[in-house]
Amino acid sequence: MDKGLKMTEIKKLLIPLTDYPHMPYWATLEEAIVLLNFAHESGYHTVLVFDEFYKLLGMLDWREILGAIDPKFKELSPDEVSSKWSDIINSESSNQFKKPIKDFMSPFDITVDASDDILKVSYLLLQHNIDIIPVKESEKVLGVVRMHDIFHEITGFILQSKK
Amino acid sequence: MRRLLKIFRRKVVVPKPVLDEGLPFKERYLYFKKLLSANNTVLEIMADMEEKLSGEYIFDMNYIRTSCSKLVDSVQNIIVNLDKLSKGKYPNLYFAFAKINSKIEATLTNKTDIPVTDFTIPFDSVTKEMVNSVGGKNANLGEIKNKIGLPVPEGFCISAYAFKRFIEFNELKNKIILNSVDIVDMEGLNRISREAQDLIMNSQIPPDIENSILNAFSELSRKISGRASSPTASVRSSAIHEDAQFTFAGQYKTALNVNTDNVIEQYKRVISSLFSPRAIFYYKSKGFEEDDMVMAVGVVEMIDAKASGVMYSRDPTDAEKNDIIINAVWGLGKYAVDGTVSPNVYIVSRDEPRTILEKTTPVQEVMLKCNPKEDVVEVEVPEEIRATSCLTDDQIKFLADYALVLEKHYDIPQDIEWALDENNNFFILQTRLLRILKEKPVKNIQAITSGYKILINKGQIACKGVGAGKVFFVKKEEDLEKFPEGAVLVAKQTSPKFVKVMNKTSAIVADVGGLTGHMASLAREYNVPTLLGTEIAMKTLEAGKEITVDAINGNIYEGRIEELIKAGKRENPFKDTAVFKVLRALLNNIVPLKLIDPEDEKFSPDYCETFHDITRFAHEVAMREMFQVADSPNIRKRETVKIEVKIPLEIYVIDLDGGIKSTSKKITPDQILSIPMNALLRGMMAMEWPGPPPLSVKGFFGVIASTTMQPHSERLLWEPSFAIISKEYMNFNIRLGYHIQTVEAFAGDNINDNYVRFLFKGGGASIDRRARRTRLIKEILELTDFDVKRTGDVLDARVTKYDKVTILKKLGLLARLTAYTKQLDMTLFNDAMVDWYIKEFVNKYYTEDWE
Repeated sequence: MDKGLKMTEIKKLLIPLTDYPHMPYWATLEEAIVLLNFAHESGYHTVLVFDEFYKLLGMLDWREILGAIDPKFKELSPDEVSSKWSDIINSESSNQFKKPIKDFMSPFDITVDASDDILKVSYLLLQHNIDIIPVKESEKVLGVVRMHDIFHEITGFILQSKK
Repeated sequence: MRRLLKIFRRKVVVPKPVLDEGLPFKERYLYFKKLLSANNTVLEIMADMEEKLSGEYIFDMNYIRTSCSKLVDSVQNIIVNLDKLSKGKYPNLYFAFAKINSKIEATLTNKTDIPVTDFTIPFDSVTKEMVNSVGGKNANLGEIKNKIGLPVPEGFCISAYAFKRFIEFNELKNKIILNSVDIVDMEGLNRISREAQDLIMNSQIPPDIENSILNAFSELSRKISGRASSPTASVRSSAIHEDAQFTFAGQYKTALNVNTDNVIEQYKRVISSLFSPRAIFYYKSKGFEEDDMVMAVGVVEMIDAKASGVMYSRDPTDAEKNDIIINAVWGLGKYAVDGTVSPNVYIVSRDEPRTILEKTTPVQEVMLKCNPKEDVVEVEVPEEIRATSCLTDDQIKFLADYALVLEKHYDIPQDIEWALDENNNFFILQTRLLRILKEKPVKNIQAITSGYKILINKGQIACKGVGAGKVFFVKKEEDLEKFPEGAVLVAKQTSPKFVKVMNKTSAIVADVGGLTGHMASLAREYNVPTLLGTEIAMKTLEAGKEITVDAINGNIYEGRIEELIKAGKRENPFKDTAVFKVLRALLNNIVPLKLIDPEDEKFSPDYCETFHDITRFAHEVAMREMFQVADSPNIRKRETVKIEVKIPLEIYVIDLDGGIKSTSKKITPDQILSIPMNALLRGMMAMEWPGPPPLSVKGFFGVIASTTMQPHSERLLWEPSFAIISKEYMNFNIRLGYHIQTVEAFAGDNINDNYVRFLFKGGGASIDRRARRTRLIKEILELTDFDVKRTGDVLDARVTKYDKVTILKKLGLLARLTAYTKQLDMTLFNDAMVDWYIKEFVNKYYTEDWE
């Protein structure tokens, strides 16, 4: 691809941590659900999970939350599903709601550096099949970049250069 | 102000260490308490100043000076008390203080120098470099005449030095006191302004200045006698900072058609307008000080204009457009800028060949002309030219060329006043920099066409943006005094007087007026969405009804349209002002905290770079001094006792009198006799604590292996908490997470002695999340009658004079709240989240009898 796009630092697309939903690992599943409902309007659907020292531990998204409401849900056969969902909300889930999110989060294996360029980051997003990736500078988490924004940057560039 | 300066210049005397043995505990405690109190004051002032940086507030240099002065006092207080407490262990703290203080002082003393010159200076010898002698407007006129060579009227300046002499001659400096006035207090502003203006009008112009003015006037008359049978002049303000970096558009008086008999009186009138309420407001809100308020005056040949107006060398609302904008009216130019009539508007391309892109010529019924003898008079525009263009196409193009010549010379877009005399000669009356909204001020949002009722869909956009609020009609100047916060100002005509409410109004709508008027410049400067020339707003809109003004697409809607408001959210209007820059520069020496880790070798006075560093350092070592827990060989630990308790806190107490029933070094909670301490501890123990248990900390400042550089110091998170207690008293400094919190209480049998005080500051998350947490605490505490002051992430709450049982219940609530909010700042993504947590807390933990 063209040099111009490669040189774009990922910082440009960064959503700063200040603006992004995050919680300590001991927050409950219920709190995470509430948070993501409030964050819905901003278009965010992942909670970053930190420890007490603001060290990044993992993340929790819609998928993991729905899975967490009833851990057995995923194991159902397709026929069982339609009758099951309302029961789940009433019984099993209330216990789950009180559990800390560290029980459900998935760890972050990869991060990128603030000075990395868009192409490297988009490669990693595709390679690992993820939607967001945390951006660090030294050991500090500056925020995240989303596939969503990368897509627009890259395809916007392609359309522009076709003109 | 003198007094303040004196405080800043206070000499730093380093006391010598006293070598005698330990102070009695009670005396140490006294110093400690004083230090804590000063510490809280510092934190509060810092939070308040930081909050001002958000741009939602308007403040002046007086605010900055007063805050700095209080801050300096309190920091000194901390150092002095630490000095006594530690018996002179930290002399270098005085040097650190002096170093920071001198930086602050330097930032605060930036003065305007008024050079000594003649009292009057003819335009022939003026250039733009002479701004401090002749003021901005005169300096530019001189520059145009002598350096650029475009036609300007003849005239002379009455210098800034003459003004200074006038003030000294009448000893006005000590009589006009502006510092005490709060710029948002309009009544106070009006009163002070009236007093100052009366003082000037009742003062005498020194005879030597009067002579100089009269001589210069007769010389001027001689020069222009060929052009006019009875030569007259306009007397115009030319304040030192006017037309330079700040527009001051229309803030001062101009006297038109003045002759030799009344020139002295009019001179006084013009300089007194330096102290009009709106000029004072403008000055102060822009960060100037009294000493900066100096006015030179221009006495300029009166051109009895056939037509006149204003032109902009670029479109100020859109930097990307390549247009020159010319406004014109019949007669004198005052009506073009004050909004009395809707002017002709010509849009001319900047590119060669110059083409007229747009031409609007509304009907003009009245105009301003010179009276034969003096002053000006409104007359009817002759029927035959009412609807015709004031300028011919050739004249428009000719004038547009002038705009580009001026812009090229100054190398920045210009805002120009011009006049055309009866012989069709153009004159430039004034030029100054044109404020252009940086880049695109707001996104070009789509107009909404369905679902909402459009009340008005015409008008000229003078400042882009979207604002919503209740309609408030301004029909006369007094109406401005009652102007409600957040309302939309609706008026028949524009007026520069509206500047007084530009910090309050969410949008401005006027039926008459164009984007080159004074008020339009001010609206852009304060970034208030403004729609002018709406014609029917006064008729169509209803007072008190909510409307949304879309000054991007030029529509006014019924009701609040959140999607438009959100999309058109405006940039902070005050962040570019001088006063803001001063505050920001000052806070650099005040707020950043570099001394974080007490175990770091750099945790010492030598590394204190800000007042916050000093405060943090002093607080930390004061704690050690007080509790004798420092890691040094001469520790005496006999006075502190550890409480073994199953909550994530490491608590040490020091008993003043009857607070514990044991002599052991470690006690359990049931050995505590202190009534308030007991209530608090029991409340804490009954809670389920969020977060991890405390790490096992060896010793008070035991080392925790930390191999990687963490965003936050682990040590900070696990610092021990200390309480000073007696049977009825407690001062408990709780270290929990990254914030600092103190609970102080007295719970005895006499209601009048009883109180609870709760102080809270800081956190590990970003400032907005920390501030959300203090809002959460505030709202909960207010449910139970605490009196709560909150500024950003600092909170100070108290209740007094309740019976013992009620006091203990309130301590119970504080205990629950303490556990509940631990590191909760991290989670507080937005205000809705805060509301949810408040509800949760109230449901789960808020009952009067909760134990």
